[in-house]
Amino acid sequence: MTGTMPPRAMSAAPTILRYRGVIKRFGDLQVLNGISLDVHAGEVVCLIGPSGSGKSTLLRCTNGLETLDGGAIEFEGTLLPRDERGLRAMRARMGMVFQSFELFPHLTAIENVAEGPRTVLGMRPADAGRRAGALLAKVGLADKAASFPAALSGGQQQRVAIARALAMEPDVMLFDEPTSALDPETIGEVLGVMKALADEGMTMVVVTHEMAFARRVADWVAVFDAGRIIEQGPPEQIFDAPTVPRTRDFLSHLGWEG
Amino acid sequence: MTFDWSVVWQHRGILAAATGTTFLLTIATMAIAVPCAVVVAALRLYAAAPVRAAATGYVELFRNLPLILVVYWAFYVVPILTGVGLPPLATGLAALALNVTAYNAETFRAGINSIRRGQSEAALALGMSRVQVLRRIVLPQALRRILPVLASTWVSLFKDTSLVSVIAVGELAYASMQIRAQTFRVLEMLTAMAVIYWLLGYPQAKLVDWIQRRYAVTE
Repeated sequence: MTGTMPPRAMSAAPTILRYRGVIKRFGDLQVLNGISLDVHAGEVVCLIGPSGSGKSTLLRCTNGLETLDGGAIEFEGTLLPRDERGLRAMRARMGMVFQSFELFPHLTAIENVAEGPRTVLGMRPADAGRRAGALLAKVGLADKAASFPAALSGGQQQRVAIARALAMEPDVMLFDEPTSALDPETIGEVLGVMKALADEGMTMVVVTHEMAFARRVADWVAVFDAGRIIEQGPPEQIFDAPTVPRTRDFLSHLGWEG
Repeated sequence: MTFDWSVVWQHRGILAAATGTTFLLTIATMAIAVPCAVVVAALRLYAAAPVRAAATGYVELFRNLPLILVVYWAFYVVPILTGVGLPPLATGLAALALNVTAYNAETFRAGINSIRRGQSEAALALGMSRVQVLRRIVLPQALRRILPVLASTWVSLFKDTSLVSVIAVGELAYASMQIRAQTFRVLEMLTAMAVIYWLLGYPQAKLVDWIQRRYAVTE
């Protein structure tokens, strides 16, 4: 590492997530090959890299949707629990946003957002409804509260999904390619909501192919290739002066001109 | 050949009561078979291997036996094996419920499987328990999808209740046969029975058609 490398701005903040040598296999295929990465409070960490390089799998390991085959993940200083009850308590403090939205189609927008507080936190329906209404307003969809997901555009659905995750008042938000299933014209509205969230100081781990977003919003970028992090650093380094040739190849394939 | 349709009118009281019994059997069977089927389906999907195998065994046994055999078996064999003899109505109800539960369990299992995994994952990611995911997210969606199937099972069941007449449960088929035997008015009573079943069954079938249109899945 050279002396000119920009320092990590938030490195003094407490570590929210720490990945230590994470290994994950699907059958014979080793998807994660010893991933080590820190996420500090208030940081936006973007995971970039080619499809199938393990970014989404790491995110899914983070909240226990996938189990680890090796290494460890610490969340707020404690190892990820393995028991069902512990996992649930931990998931309640992590929000997750999926590529395919996964809104509950039998519930209206506001019911989707209120579902977590009601069912998991045991909040009274009226209180959960108030919280959900405020969050829908925050993502600019107050007027869609009574709409079912099928009646919403992709961008609107994903904003509701973000509100649904925020309703649990999580300590960290995990975004798994949140704009990959969207029409180009609605990508901006979702990225706008995410940028606003970052500006409020939310800790975010974002798997994305939106390089402009990563360049502008991320505090730290990790480049994945074949189950490894081949390079990590502040966005200025990754996008303007990548030290690893493979990073340059990947970025130039996406048409990134720096 | 002369017909005497007055025999039907003369026995209207018995026929009405028997029709009531037919409805009672249908409703009671479904009232038992739907919740039990949810449990059996959940066991087949989520339980530990031995329990899962038992649930599968139950479903495969009762799905592949003729209902009339189950009815006879419940009536003649169960009392011998257990020493407990239930009255015919309860025995018939038990046989129907065993059979329909097995069918409904398969319907529920297919419905639950048809809900894509991302839905469960989204619910789990919120911190829900497996049971909460099933109850709040998966089952409500699955139920909408399988409602048309459950409705046609209902229509079949309404007619299949006639099979418990073989153990002298006083439902519509049994009552009609009894009247036929006493009056020798075979054609009249069989026709009356057909008309009553059809008149009651047809609106139910139409209702099923309406349900199938109404609950066509939109996502």
